[in-house]
Amino acid sequence: MDRYRDFSLGEFVWDKPFRNWVLNPTREDDETWQNWLAAHPDKREIVERARQLVLSIRPANASLSNPEKRKAVERIVERLETRHLDQTEASRLPWYNGRAVRIAAMLVLLAGLGWMFWLRHQPEQIGYDQLVAAANAEMVEAVNTTAKPLTISLEDGSRITLDPGSRMSYPAHFSSSQREVFLSGKAFFDIAKNPSKPFFVYANELVTKVLGTSFTVRSFADEQEVSVAVKSGKVAVFSRDEPGAAAKQSSRDLTGVVIEPNQQVVFLRKSVKITKSIVPEPEVVAEAGTAPHLEFDEAPLSAVFSALQSAYGIDIIYDKNIMDECPITATLTEMSLYEQLDLVCKAVNASYKSIDGRIVVEGKGCRNN
Amino acid sequence: MKALTRSDLYLEEEQKLWRKMLAGDVTAYEHLIDRTYDLLFHYGTKFNSDRELIKDCIQDVFLGVWEKRNALNPEIPPKPYLLASLRRRLHRLASRLRMDCMDYYNESDVVFDLEFSAEYQLIESENDRILASRMTEMLNELPKRQKEAVFLRFYNDMEREEIAVVMDIQPQSVSNLLQEAFKFIKSHWKAIVSLALALPF
Repeated sequence: MDRYRDFSLGEFVWDKPFRNWVLNPTREDDETWQNWLAAHPDKREIVERARQLVLSIRPANASLSNPEKRKAVERIVERLETRHLDQTEASRLPWYNGRAVRIAAMLVLLAGLGWMFWLRHQPEQIGYDQLVAAANAEMVEAVNTTAKPLTISLEDGSRITLDPGSRMSYPAHFSSSQREVFLSGKAFFDIAKNPSKPFFVYANELVTKVLGTSFTVRSFADEQEVSVAVKSGKVAVFSRDEPGAAAKQSSRDLTGVVIEPNQQVVFLRKSVKITKSIVPEPEVVAEAGTAPHLEFDEAPLSAVFSALQSAYGIDIIYDKNIMDECPITATLTEMSLYEQLDLVCKAVNASYKSIDGRIVVEGKGCRNN
Repeated sequence: MKALTRSDLYLEEEQKLWRKMLAGDVTAYEHLIDRTYDLLFHYGTKFNSDRELIKDCIQDVFLGVWEKRNALNPEIPPKPYLLASLRRRLHRLASRLRMDCMDYYNESDVVFDLEFSAEYQLIESENDRILASRMTEMLNELPKRQKEAVFLRFYNDMEREEIAVVMDIQPQSVSNLLQEAFKFIKSHWKAIVSLALALPF
């Protein structure tokens, strides 16, 4: 940001990052610029002037009304469908001469070959038993055969709650550089903080690395998904087989897919794919025991979103410039996050999506309402 | 690490729709059309003011994409590809029309033409309103290809390589166009600013 100190009005107007902030602001951008302005109050005037200039000078666009656009889009899709019908009724050749039959025959042949190849090269899904066997320390195993959760305390003060039908192996004594445990099934981990001795959970193909936090790992041998959900703190998750796994493991920082409270990652064992999302039922992140204040009276949208954001620790991304004009009066206590979002979005005529562990809100604002 | 920005998320989503659409997903196809329609329409109207003609051309572009979906690369960004197809189609159409009239045709007959305008009510200071009006005039005086590059770069957030795809020229030529535009803007800027300041208010 330093380069902006000597910017002239014209330089601001044609600077791309500056324009992006003005025309399509993100929360990060906005924060960066507000901080910079707070540190350089003498630049406020020139930035505001540049902002107005950027906003006012636009290409003249022919107007395209929503219904007109809708009709045009629908027409394209309709045309596509009628075209499909034409094609299927087009030619009446003997059945074995049709193009579709030839393609089908080819596909059957290919599928057969593929299946043979697959049988030969079926990768072994690495499970709990192999992992424990490969560990070179003396291991202790805890198995929960009861119908209730079972809590285990480790020597470092960490507490682990095993769900019924789950088991965990851990060394009798942790090594001097790291703490490693192996899990089959589902468990909640409350890990004692020790940044110099990171804690690793190995669950099938997935490795979870933490410095001190609480989270749940679900990894049953017969299920096709392995998931990690965070309750407090931050954890890093990566696949044991990915190329940089060794480096991620030894790095002092948390690298890989980093997840924060109310986020989860799911690893699909078949496709070896890690996806990040929001947990199905986000909980308020307990910060110093204070319940978040979620009653609003004619409050700007940004106040509502920032309250929700700090309550759940989930990023909410929206266009502040367009949508902050919408005043909100609502009581959002005793609702789930999704109910709260539904309500707020309905009030301002917007919609939201959950993308990559964040909430993205889209709307046209209230200026014309 | 670069923070993920909103436009990154948007681009990612577009890429996802493009991939799904190429795999034969009609819903994704419709979504993609819906998301890109405004841009294509506005870009198209810069070449030709006949709205219905532009709509027909956009329709042909999308029907063409669907037909060729097996041959298209799922990893190319969809927007520049779509804009480039629309541009090509408009050129071809124009050449056909010329032929019918037995007229001589060359590429430059189909030109990008764009008017910039300023919304003065967004500006507080009278001085800056004058500045905006001069700046608008200046932008409107840019040669048409420079204008097109400026439009794609500064009003549609496109990178040099993407603009090159759309305009069907080398990335280096895009840089040259933008540089020339800026030389022009810069040389006039000083005069404008001093003029605006010299006026007594």
